[in-house]
Amino acid sequence: MADPKSPGPEDEKPGLTRRGFFLGAGGFAASGLVVGAAAGGAAGFGLARATGSETAATADVVYPYYDQEHQGGVQTEPQKYSVFMTYDLTTSSRSDVQVLLARWTAAIAQMTKGQPIGNPQPPGASSVAVDSGEALDLGAQALTVTVGLGPGLFDSRFGLASKRPKLLKKLPDLPSDQLQDEFTGGDLCLSACADDPQVAYHAIRNLSRMARGTAATRWTVTGFGRASAGPSQQTPRNLLGFKDGTRNITSDLDFDKWVWVKGETEDWMNGGSYLVARKIHQSIETWDTDRIGDQENVFGRSKLEGAPLTGHGEFDTPDFTKKRADGSLVIPANSHIALASHENNGGIRIHRRSYNYTEGIDDVGQIDAGLLFVAFMNDPAHFITLQKRLGSSDRLNEYIQHIGSALFAVPRGPRTGSYIAAELFA
Amino acid sequence: MNRSSLARTSAVLAAAVALALAVSSCSTGGSATSGSVASVVHGASQVSVSLASKNGKDVCTLSSSSAKAGPVTFTVKNESSTAISEVELLSNERILGEKENLAPGLAAVSFTVTLTGGTYQVYCPGADKQLTSFTIAGKSVKVANTATGALQSGIEGYAAYVTQEVTTMISATNALKSAVDSGDVTASQKAYALARPYYERVESDVDGFILPGFSATDNAGNLDYLIDMRESNLDPAVGWHGFHAVERDLFQAKTITASTKQLAAELATNVQKLDALTRSLTYKPEDLANGASDLLEEVQSSKITGEEESYSHIDLVDFAANVEGAQQAFAYLQPGLTKIDPTLTRKIVTQFAAVNTLLDKYKDSSALGGYVSYTAALRTSDGPTLSAAVEALHENLATIAAKVATA
Repeated sequence: MADPKSPGPEDEKPGLTRRGFFLGAGGFAASGLVVGAAAGGAAGFGLARATGSETAATADVVYPYYDQEHQGGVQTEPQKYSVFMTYDLTTSSRSDVQVLLARWTAAIAQMTKGQPIGNPQPPGASSVAVDSGEALDLGAQALTVTVGLGPGLFDSRFGLASKRPKLLKKLPDLPSDQLQDEFTGGDLCLSACADDPQVAYHAIRNLSRMARGTAATRWTVTGFGRASAGPSQQTPRNLLGFKDGTRNITSDLDFDKWVWVKGETEDWMNGGSYLVARKIHQSIETWDTDRIGDQENVFGRSKLEGAPLTGHGEFDTPDFTKKRADGSLVIPANSHIALASHENNGGIRIHRRSYNYTEGIDDVGQIDAGLLFVAFMNDPAHFITLQKRLGSSDRLNEYIQHIGSALFAVPRGPRTGSYIAAELFA
Repeated sequence: MNRSSLARTSAVLAAAVALALAVSSCSTGGSATSGSVASVVHGASQVSVSLASKNGKDVCTLSSSSAKAGPVTFTVKNESSTAISEVELLSNERILGEKENLAPGLAAVSFTVTLTGGTYQVYCPGADKQLTSFTIAGKSVKVANTATGALQSGIEGYAAYVTQEVTTMISATNALKSAVDSGDVTASQKAYALARPYYERVESDVDGFILPGFSATDNAGNLDYLIDMRESNLDPAVGWHGFHAVERDLFQAKTITASTKQLAAELATNVQKLDALTRSLTYKPEDLANGASDLLEEVQSSKITGEEESYSHIDLVDFAANVEGAQQAFAYLQPGLTKIDPTLTRKIVTQFAAVNTLLDKYKDSSALGGYVSYTAALRTSDGPTLSAAVEALHENLATIAAKVATA
């Protein structure tokens, strides 16, 4: 079983053996093998680091960081886990923001290599450790941390208003929005994704600590399972039990056309993207008791195969015009895939990179869970167009609520010797 | 592979690792090109200091290990270190020059100092090897370590402050006992709120006392347990004693029973024992620093959460007292710390002021203890802001122990 497809774009190629090698076409079906590979990887990494060699055979995936055209975590094949965190800037000093972005960049570079950002056991009993230590010996685990800049960074506080990328502004009110202030907005965001949940958590925890006095945590979602796939991964399922992201864009060509920003006057955004985050609560209890026929009509797909109701295989192209004998559409016009499809939206496409989340139970004893919808695009208007349609008439709206929302500009990747969005402070 | 051969392999591996580490620290750990004398440009010796992360270690490297007497310019560039964010030039523990907020990607920064003959240290907190010697040839001009004297007088001042707080606590807990004895719940509640801050100001210094004849693990002899234990951490073998047991009676049941009277009397007695033990305390500068830091830890772990005063909801009174105690400890270190690290000192002063300004918003002379009640609603709406301000201060305050301990 070998890596079945192209390993992805050149700039995202991991430095060591890809986990994809083990996952391969078998995907989750080969879970026993995956577990074995992961365990071997962790042990191998510890040995490799102790002897100063990074070439030892290991399953640990290390993505390159500096001198990539794009930040990681956008086109990177989705890792298993994520921690997403947003921040409010509490400082009024522009240089504090500059220092934070520089420190974050260097720390992300370090953690991406699977290394701590300082000695967890510093010399001298009075010293305070810089790195908290819980990711020691776990390896890099394909960690990527994506940095996003919210519209607030470009308000009157920091003298950066003239450098605001022109498409970066607060998302407008959208149909069916039930946004809660505590899950909405943010001046900065970090999205850490890794194949080990503790590695992703460690990154966010330590980067949040670096921000103290400059930025305070605002809202966060911990994603326990990926709900999108890269070109060599099997399509995973959301918590409603349906495959999510079957028609997601994955090719370099589509990324070029729909994801990467080009021709922006603020040059640090060229090669970057816009990140839309939506915290979507799912009404698990009512969904679970909905009859299968209705569930399939809500999505417009079959549950097991994930095939469009007009086809047989997952990747069959849906036929949105096909009618039954009684004249009704086979894929209902208000089904999720009909409303979201590029065919029905003037060709518009976005790259989705979402994660399932659960946060325990709510105050009436129901499971508090849903999807952290994360999408990348070169124009936020694309999301707005899609969500206007979905928010107005999606049959799925009976079972989901958009309770959180934010938009961030994702600058292009940093160069060696520089840091993310350094041009803002030049 | 059986267990013993596995263990043996591990031991061999460990030895190999240790050797590798030793070799790498010789070649890369906090080094200077030995013996090289800094070149002189426009009358100033030029020394570059490079910060980097090499093989997982943070290193601070000087381009030269010595210079001739006169002006010396240190140019600091952080190439790749995530752990080192400041560099100081020290003489006899005194900072002669420093640069902070050093992060990879930012432009190099420099400072120039005029040095006479002697040995100096370049201090890179966070580096694997934090101190690197730097020598100036020629006659040494003795520079007094003015920080040490200032820190010593600070310690004496602080010891007197702690003693005074605990002595006043005796009167306050006696007043609480009298109010409880009178059976007046309202008066007792007021007396309770008035007595609390004394303990909260100095808690980190006095929470380690074990009464004579008890083992360290027996809560029956642990004065902090007997005086300040909350419901969440009770030891069933010893039962509930102290402030919070009295709080429960006064604010939950709102009745005074014989047991309440006994608890209040016992509290007053235990505070007298505390007073006697406090007088025997001696401090080192880092004790003040750690104490201040620990008080802010208290703020975050039990006041912002509303856990400390779960019946009376006077958490903001305790919050203010913790901050005041931390600020006092810091203030006594300040004259010495200013000589060691003026920038950090100024930063902490500003952050204390920010926290106090925030706390002032909640002052209410008509409320119990002088601060508004810390309700669940207030915690939800204002907790994050309070927490962010305290965390910012705490992060810096936590770094001063290492600075004053080496002084």
